Amino acid sequence: MTLLKSHQDTFEQPQDDEVILSVKNVSKRFCRDLKKSLFYGIQDIAGEVLGLSKSSDVLRKSEFWALKDVSLELRRGEALGLVGANGAGKTTLLRIISGLIKPDAGTVEVKGRVAPLIALGAGFNPVLTGRENVYVNMSILGLSNEEIDECFDQVVEFAEIGEAIDAPVQSYSSGMAARLGFACAIHTEPDILLIDEVLAVGDAKFRSKCTRKLSELRRQGTAFIFVSHNSMAIMAVATSAVYLRRGKLLLSGNTETIISKYEEDLFLDGVEVAQGAMYLKEKTADQSSGIDITSLALKDAQGKILDFLTSGEPASFCAELKVHRYIEDVSLRIEVREVGGENDTVLFLSGLMDDRVFNAHPGKCEIVIDMQYVGFKPGIYTANINVRQGKHFIFDTIESYRFVVKGDASMSKCKFYQPRTWHFNYCS
Amino acid sequence: MRKSSRFSNRIIYTSESRIRHPLQLFQEMGRDLLASRQLAWRLLMRDIRAQYRQSMFGVLWAFLPPIITAMGLLVAKNAGAVNIGNTDIPYPAYVMFSMALWQTFVESLSGPIAAVNAAKPMLAKINFPREAIILAKVGEVFFNFGIKLILILGLFIWFQIPVTWSVFLAPVALIHLVILGTSIGLLLAPIGALYGDVAKAIPLIVSPWLLLTPVIYPVPKEGLFATIVNLNPVTPLLVTTRDLATQGLVSDPIGFWVVSATACGLLVIAWILYRLAIPFIVERMSA
Repeated sequence: MTLLKSHQDTFEQPQDDEVILSVKNVSKRFCRDLKKSLFYGIQDIAGEVLGLSKSSDVLRKSEFWALKDVSLELRRGEALGLVGANGAGKTTLLRIISGLIKPDAGTVEVKGRVAPLIALGAGFNPVLTGRENVYVNMSILGLSNEEIDECFDQVVEFAEIGEAIDAPVQSYSSGMAARLGFACAIHTEPDILLIDEVLAVGDAKFRSKCTRKLSELRRQGTAFIFVSHNSMAIMAVATSAVYLRRGKLLLSGNTETIISKYEEDLFLDGVEVAQGAMYLKEKTADQSSGIDITSLALKDAQGKILDFLTSGEPASFCAELKVHRYIEDVSLRIEVREVGGENDTVLFLSGLMDDRVFNAHPGKCEIVIDMQYVGFKPGIYTANINVRQGKHFIFDTIESYRFVVKGDASMSKCKFYQPRTWHFNYCS
Repeated sequence: MRKSSRFSNRIIYTSESRIRHPLQLFQEMGRDLLASRQLAWRLLMRDIRAQYRQSMFGVLWAFLPPIITAMGLLVAKNAGAVNIGNTDIPYPAYVMFSMALWQTFVESLSGPIAAVNAAKPMLAKINFPREAIILAKVGEVFFNFGIKLILILGLFIWFQIPVTWSVFLAPVALIHLVILGTSIGLLLAPIGALYGDVAKAIPLIVSPWLLLTPVIYPVPKEGLFATIVNLNPVTPLLVTTRDLATQGLVSDPIGFWVVSATACGLLVIAWILYRLAIPFIVERMSA
């Protein structure tokens, strides 16, 4: 098995604290209606030509704020992660920073050359060969003929498309075209690099090559702004992060904190999470199969109902049952999946497998699972709970019992909680 | 080691109208124009190569339209179906040369809009000097004329049309013709990029315009029609180019200089407008 080089590099601090990008209170409006949008375009052009000042606090009809009062700073060698749900305004911010569109309010100050990696292979003509298109693309990205000649061989080698470099681009697979585009863009050696969700191209080997090259660029002093939905990628590269939501900058600072807030918002938005206990309607004797689950709850070590679990803390899971007749060999089974994860089962507990079966008499009873430490990592989970007799006969099922697990920063890079104690010994 | 420190360039983007800082605007325009030379050349090479690589008959397509039109008109004229006066040089040569000039004008008129529409994906995603795509299109116009020139040279030799030394001044007049076309096209380009009506309207306007220019008939001397034709801005430029290439005597120097100066002024205005409008177009068009 190949051991891929760790993505976590140890970086020296940037040589000087010079701020090379400063965004101050930038706002931008967009219009949802196409016809109105085109008309506003003409209106804006007229306003610009006549030198009119903008009334920038007002939204015209059908407009909305794509960005509102966003401010940030970037220093040499820093990598800023830009996170947010789709439509939060990340690409708009990048386009304003690269000078493609004008802000409706605020200022952006840039020192040095900005290379946007917003789309790969701009300027590619499908009929021409890869070789010819490299020249076109790098010329568009701002390099002079001499500069292109210097790094041409490196670009072709980096793209790894072999002999296809002399074939027309229309015969390339989308992956090859993207790799060629990426190779061109990454060799332009800009001062500020804006990467908009393009790190997903290519196979794993190519991706790690790209990450290494980006690290190299960072060492040389290039600053990055990074948009990606892949939290792992951002955490590996970014020195700080900024969270945009519906055009507003909610948080900026430590990458881990921001990523966890982003993921929390992403899955919690509009989704009901079971707060504390779940109570179910009682069934009558003829509706029931013999045993009904009447409530589910998470409790702490003292027996108090919890709103959420905490990684590493003791907790217990209680299922209250109503039993209608005498039944033997009753056991509880729980299957837990992470919401938003790959839908794999994270935990599977079965009383039968643990040899914990009970004989139930008519009346109310409860089954409790005591956990010395909650092993889940912070996140949102859903559990499928059923009570059964023996292996196969199921009395009652709860398809989805959602619960939240919270944790501190020490859990941010863990996939599970490991109970531990530390020791320091002298060796004689 | 890092190459020349580019950290010294400081650029500020604000919501303010850039026309309030005219000096800065002109500096930026000049700088971008210089910066676009190499890129414009690359784009020109790319477009020409791509065009001809996909074509079997290649350059022949540049010859055929004028030849076919001229032949059609010649047949009609000889049959008496159209009443065209006598021209100074043999009619086929007259028509083909004039048509070549007219087509060059039309290409330069529709050039900027075509350039902006074709470059939309690039415009929306990369900040390169916007003048480059216009320059590349102008280059293409001259390239296409160059090919037609071969045909014209052939005609001149075939019909044994005499030329004087003033033929070397003809390119100057041609450049002015292209400037007129480009400036009008550039003026229309921002609106044309947003609304499709402009691209549809151009052919509608160009067809009657052809008939108001002395392309298929000699310059009319008198009457209302002659007045209209003389008011047409294309007339002095086209006629002067033709005159310089054939007779050597310019028939309407005042008209030529007036229109030329206007065209140059219009070009500068159109350039400023284009530059100011581009970010708004980029914002509104689909990427």
